[in-house]
Amino acid sequence: MFQVAQAAAATAPTVAQEKWEPRIVALICNWCTYAGADMAGTTRRAYPAAVRAVRVPCTGRIDPLLIVKAFEQGADGVLVSGCHPGDCHYVQGNLVARRRFTAFRALMEFLGLDPRRLHFAWVSASEGVKWSRLVEEVTAAVREAGPLRDWGRLTEAHRASVSLPATPPAPRSAPPATEQQAVAEHLERLAGTLLTEGRVSVVVGYTAGSLPGQMVPAFITLPEDAGTLGWSDRCFNDLAVYLPSAQRQWGKVAVVVKRCDVRAAVGLLQENQVTRDNVVLIGVSCDGVWDNGELALKCYACDGGVAPVCDWTVTPQGAQKGAVVSRAKRQVAADPRDALVAHLESLPRQDRWGYWQGQFDRCLRCYGCRAVCPLCYCSVCVAEKNKPQWIPSSIDARGNTVWNITRALHLVGRCGGCDECARVCPADLRLDLLNHRLHMEVEMRFGYRSGEDASASPPLATFRSDDPQEFIR
Amino acid sequence: MRKDGTEARGWRLTGGELTEWLAGLLREGKRVIAPVERDGLRVFRAVESAEQVCLAPGKTRWSPKEFLFPRTEALFSYSVRGDQVTLEGASGESTEQVLFGVRPCDVAGLNRLDAIFLNGETDSLYAGRRSRSTVVSLACDEAEPECFCTAVGGGPAAKDGSDLQLIAGGDGWLVLPLTSKGEALTSSLKDRAAMPSTEEWAQARERVQRVAESLRQSPVAREWARVLESSFDLPLWQALGQRCLGCSICTYVCPSCSCFDVQDSGNAWCGERCRSWDSCTFASFTRHASGHNPRPSQASRYRQRVLHKFAYFPLSNEGQFMCVGCGRCVKLCPVGMNIQESVQHVVAASREGSDARG
Repeated sequence: MFQVAQAAAATAPTVAQEKWEPRIVALICNWCTYAGADMAGTTRRAYPAAVRAVRVPCTGRIDPLLIVKAFEQGADGVLVSGCHPGDCHYVQGNLVARRRFTAFRALMEFLGLDPRRLHFAWVSASEGVKWSRLVEEVTAAVREAGPLRDWGRLTEAHRASVSLPATPPAPRSAPPATEQQAVAEHLERLAGTLLTEGRVSVVVGYTAGSLPGQMVPAFITLPEDAGTLGWSDRCFNDLAVYLPSAQRQWGKVAVVVKRCDVRAAVGLLQENQVTRDNVVLIGVSCDGVWDNGELALKCYACDGGVAPVCDWTVTPQGAQKGAVVSRAKRQVAADPRDALVAHLESLPRQDRWGYWQGQFDRCLRCYGCRAVCPLCYCSVCVAEKNKPQWIPSSIDARGNTVWNITRALHLVGRCGGCDECARVCPADLRLDLLNHRLHMEVEMRFGYRSGEDASASPPLATFRSDDPQEFIR
Repeated sequence: MRKDGTEARGWRLTGGELTEWLAGLLREGKRVIAPVERDGLRVFRAVESAEQVCLAPGKTRWSPKEFLFPRTEALFSYSVRGDQVTLEGASGESTEQVLFGVRPCDVAGLNRLDAIFLNGETDSLYAGRRSRSTVVSLACDEAEPECFCTAVGGGPAAKDGSDLQLIAGGDGWLVLPLTSKGEALTSSLKDRAAMPSTEEWAQARERVQRVAESLRQSPVAREWARVLESSFDLPLWQALGQRCLGCSICTYVCPSCSCFDVQDSGNAWCGERCRSWDSCTFASFTRHASGHNPRPSQASRYRQRVLHKFAYFPLSNEGQFMCVGCGRCVKLCPVGMNIQESVQHVVAASREGSDARG
């Protein structure tokens, strides 16, 4: 870490424009690229001195946070290099890293980072010539891109407001109150039965909150309290967020889940955060959640059916054991998040960077996004690690950029798409679009959809030898 | 009262005149910080033109406290060049700023920050900004579902802490200077603006009164501070804090929350010491270097927030609540925690407990 910071800071940041020389941090693997660079040296090949090499054991060790940190500390460009596929000293480190870099690169592209600043290459121990040419090319590209001045600094260009296209009309209308009431009654009865028969110690569901129409999470431990459970089209919370803590506290837990929340529950099972035997999933046939009369974007393309993993199905008609698709398919439409992502991607790169820097600038760092996320379960978040301080604690665009990139990356291939992070964000950051863009990348590149199969390997924990790598030289 | 039936204070401005007045302040080189709405998000910003200011009913998403107590500010910075070490103090801002269109609950929040940062050892950075700030409050013409200022000693046209107050009146605004700073700000109006009549003031007051009545809140009694303090070990806290997820939305949008963390960041060449907002709702807020945490559960952290607002602070500040009743924490909490309701529940449970024992 300190190596990165010092490598980047080695030239004083106040060098006058005419004297500016690119500062490039190269994160290189010990076994291949480092030896390759050594080879370039021993064969007396000259190459630009703009690169500060940081030696790591393996590209598999390169957390994208190292790259982000280098930029945050003032690097104008970053070069990542290691052994060719098949040559890894640890057999598969570079193959796992390749997937991670794929997602990272897609995110940085979406954020609008100048692609001339970020480079990946395979360089073997014998490729001294390739290394020296690579450094020449990378230095030329970074020189062309110029000094990185707009990381965490809002320039005038960033103030140019980018507005997103309007949301198309909802494909269906809100369900009638009578149906919602019927679901609530069936939920009450089912919760009462589960608790009375001792099949679970707690039912996590929804109950009326203190504001008009508000629904809030409730923990029901006594059958006589089951009557307080409710259901409406304003049951926003993804209750899977409580599963790990409720399991620790009570053991057997039943939880009310919508179609979107199930994905998070599957993720928790997949990552061994909860035990299947301890969890009873009560799937509710869901017409979507409505806020201020608007259907949530995540609901447009969702048919609201009950996922096969659920133990119970609750519909307005009743509660049934197992996962039963009980209703004719609801009217669905294209996912509006696709169009919003496409719109942002159609913008000039600088405008996209400005858009996201503007968003990150207003982030309050309340960590609401982290708190509501069922998959953000780490007992100590990387944001709290301060030896070294990986993520600057300063609440400004600089620190917030590192935080938001890291949050999005930690959820690649894991995020269930419940969009709770975006809903609760007091600063209205479009975290849903960051997550959605990464969903698209994972599906397109690795053919994987998160939250479907609890026995599958998470996509960034595995690899295929033929994973795409067109961005790696 | 004057002979012509007008009160001796205040001005009546049309919407256009108000904009003109604001434009004048901007021309004088003042930094005007006012509610600005963009993409459905209304927050306080330094405005570039008077037309940007949004005085529509409702609150900004969070309070303007960041203009007196910034989210992050450098306390000092250092740089090393050869053998030379240079220390620099915090940047010396000197611009006069006008906090414009601040709701009375947010002004009350600034008063609480004053108590924290100015009483006793003065915080020089805060004090400097405060002395350069003029506060123009904006009386509420509508109560939102989450509002409860009247329950904690505030009101839709509370004046304490304002230098000047704007009240919607007729088809324009009534402007009421309250301090010499407020008078100074309106000096340009003397030759231009009309004075409101007694009836206009009466109508405005009546409108504000209607807003206060529409709040229908049962007041939090000052005596409850002691009851709450003794409720520390009540098992109810566990149930109340059960669903709290431990983010800090409530404290960061709060007009009166004032906790911060000080951290050094830097390397062998340069760096700075910063203070940034921090929150009692975070586990790391009280975690010791040893790993021990005196507030080990989220419920204990939630209890701290409630008790600081309604017991600890009032007990050392003449009964004044730290909570100003803006209701933002209630509205924005991801899981619908309601601080006012929690207070009521704890007080009721404490009383039941003491009745049972008694």
